[in-house]
Amino acid sequence: MPGTIAPPDIELIVENRRVGGGGGRPPDGGDGGDDDYGRRGRGESPSPRRFSTGIAIGMVSILMFFMALASAFLVLRHNSGVWVTVRLPWILWVNTAVLLGSSLILERARLRLSHRDVSGFRKLWMVTTVLGFLFVAGQLVAWRQLVTQGVYIASNQASSFFYIFTGAHGVHLLGGVAALLFVLLHNFEKSQVSVSLAAEITSYYWHFMDGLWIFLFVLLYLGK
Amino acid sequence: MVTYDSGANQPDTPQGRFTSRRLFAADHKTIGLRYLWLALFSVFLGMAMSLVMRIHLVWPGVHISFLSVLGSTPERYATLPLLHGSLMVFLVLTTAPQAGFGNYFLPLQIGAREMAFPTLNLFSFWATVVSLLGMTAAFVLAPQTGITLWIASVSVFCAAALCTAINFAVTTIDLRAQGMTLPRLPLTVWAWFINAILGMLIFSILLAACLCLLSDRFFSTHFFSAVDFLASQPANTAPDALPVLWQRLFWFFAQAEVYIAMLPCFGIVSHLIATFSRKPIWKERLVVLALCGVGLVGFCVWGQHMFSSGLSPFSPLVFSVLASSLGLPAAILLISWFGALWGARIQFNTSFLFALGFISLFLSGGLSGIFLARSDIASASVTEDFVTGHFHLIMGVAATFAILGGLFFWFPKLFGRRMNELLGKIHFWLTFAGVYCVFMTMHWLGLVSHSAKNPGASLTAAAGWIVPARSFITAGILITVLAQGIFLFNFLWSLFRGERVEECNPWRATTLEWSVASPPPQDDFGAHEPVVYRGAYEFGLHGVAEDFIPQDVAPDRVVKAN
Repeated sequence: MPGTIAPPDIELIVENRRVGGGGGRPPDGGDGGDDDYGRRGRGESPSPRRFSTGIAIGMVSILMFFMALASAFLVLRHNSGVWVTVRLPWILWVNTAVLLGSSLILERARLRLSHRDVSGFRKLWMVTTVLGFLFVAGQLVAWRQLVTQGVYIASNQASSFFYIFTGAHGVHLLGGVAALLFVLLHNFEKSQVSVSLAAEITSYYWHFMDGLWIFLFVLLYLGK
Repeated sequence: MVTYDSGANQPDTPQGRFTSRRLFAADHKTIGLRYLWLALFSVFLGMAMSLVMRIHLVWPGVHISFLSVLGSTPERYATLPLLHGSLMVFLVLTTAPQAGFGNYFLPLQIGAREMAFPTLNLFSFWATVVSLLGMTAAFVLAPQTGITLWIASVSVFCAAALCTAINFAVTTIDLRAQGMTLPRLPLTVWAWFINAILGMLIFSILLAACLCLLSDRFFSTHFFSAVDFLASQPANTAPDALPVLWQRLFWFFAQAEVYIAMLPCFGIVSHLIATFSRKPIWKERLVVLALCGVGLVGFCVWGQHMFSSGLSPFSPLVFSVLASSLGLPAAILLISWFGALWGARIQFNTSFLFALGFISLFLSGGLSGIFLARSDIASASVTEDFVTGHFHLIMGVAATFAILGGLFFWFPKLFGRRMNELLGKIHFWLTFAGVYCVFMTMHWLGLVSHSAKNPGASLTAAAGWIVPARSFITAGILITVLAQGIFLFNFLWSLFRGERVEECNPWRATTLEWSVASPPPQDDFGAHEPVVYRGAYEFGLHGVAEDFIPQDVAPDRVVKAN
């Protein structure tokens, strides 16, 4: 549009034609606080907030995936007259403790980071990563224990669900371990994301994996 | 085919090998266009399948050399509808309006330069290509191997759709330009956004179901085994109720998938109607709420199935009520569209005709859906033809009309040329008449063959017409498919020879994508950062030079009428 100055009456008409209530305000940013985005210049990357939003939406999606499996479990458990129970290996309790511990230590690591103690952060973060690997190893031991009992994935429906739940959770958790390693090894100097943001986003996912495991464990325990 | 790209979308820098520059370009416009090409390829493949199916139905003895090589077993025929359905539903209806138009125009319409996660977007695209190849290959393989490959391909498609959904949702939430508040979002963006949320929920479920199914096939587990179910059921269980868990998990997805295909089409049609009737959306807020309602109810229609273990006697009733309650948002949308059309100075171009065609098909298909929403009727009277007619009208053809409307509308922006209007109109009328002949006859056939199975029903006399009606449908399909040849010619001809569009905004539309050149430059908005000052549908204004004000025109730059 050519740069003609509009007299006030035109502005009035435009005001009246506005449909949305939020449209009346001057362009001072979107509902979600778009201010930092609006000011960025040409060629700059968009707001790093997209990573936290992305992980939040991704977690809902993963939750839905496990809910579908859980409801299949409940439906089959309810309908089946020949439900053979699986004796859950004792090491699952140890694994649960390991995972809970890793979440706690991860939070302590982030606390160190907020106190600008980078070496302390890295040390504790490494402990979290090791605990993550330990958990995965522990789950494999649990599978091993079941196999020595002669319980395989195809043995019965309960065992199928046990292997599917632990397997799917394990794969998702390995994603979390990869994120932990990324935060540990990536050079954030020239990155558009700060280490604290990366740690924060990883922590969301890690705690989510933690909570998801508790849910699945309770489900398997009560449904056995 | 997939690597096509209009020259303007290529990076200016010539360095980089061909593969990384062409195949792995993560630009949202390139990816959006490629999705559209993928959908175009799939729709013609899917149409060929439907033609072969009809030929088999009407002339069972006919010899088709290509298919005879594969063997004329019943399983081979069963893979035909499977491939037709999966191509059309996944690669066309899910892909074209959301991933195709959405990837191209969502960032442009909200004033972003790129999707939130371009690399993830690239992954989604190639995963979709892999799933297309897998599904198509499943057709020519031996049945058992083919089914396994098909399930694996659907799983890959689910993963791709999930990544796309996350990308769309995050882009809409976080990457809007300055001033692009939620009430100022175009309805297309609202529809893409709500659709992304819905897709994120239901594709997870299909993925879980597919993984269980794959586990059944590979590890001999018993998730969907009929044996276990049989052991727990009374002896008089109907045999068709056996794989009930799979059916449920699948329908949780499939019922909502209808809305996945329709939601972006609602957005596109509302957008087209506002632009071509030169009027603001009637009750825009209500329309946004209606779109949310479609998403929410679409999710709950299966949701109540999901958490009720076993078939409670109330469950069909709840399902029925929920399915019927979809009539409310549908009615709001229809009223809004008619409200916009009422007394408008309409520009009858092909794009608008397709939008009108969408409304017509949506209405007719929706009305026959009311029959199906009643659980007592649905269980008793619905023979295959009635359901086939219903969902093709409302889901397949209506959505295709919206996609075509969107294509005619955005073609100047996509390629800098217009599609031919005369050919477009001939194509529209032939297709419009063709699909009504085909699918309305199918409705009728469904009712008649139902009556024929139930002695005493009044329509028994019409049973003699069943065979001629089937031939009529096949002839109708033949004509409709041939009419698509006109479209294909028009599309390809316009791509190279169509009338050039020099201006940015040939339709005098308001949204941000029309503020950039046609086709848009590589960096979309260039050095100029878009700022939004007003709602998306400021049409029919008095006292200004033109009857509309684009979203990015500041109040002090509005040109007054002479």
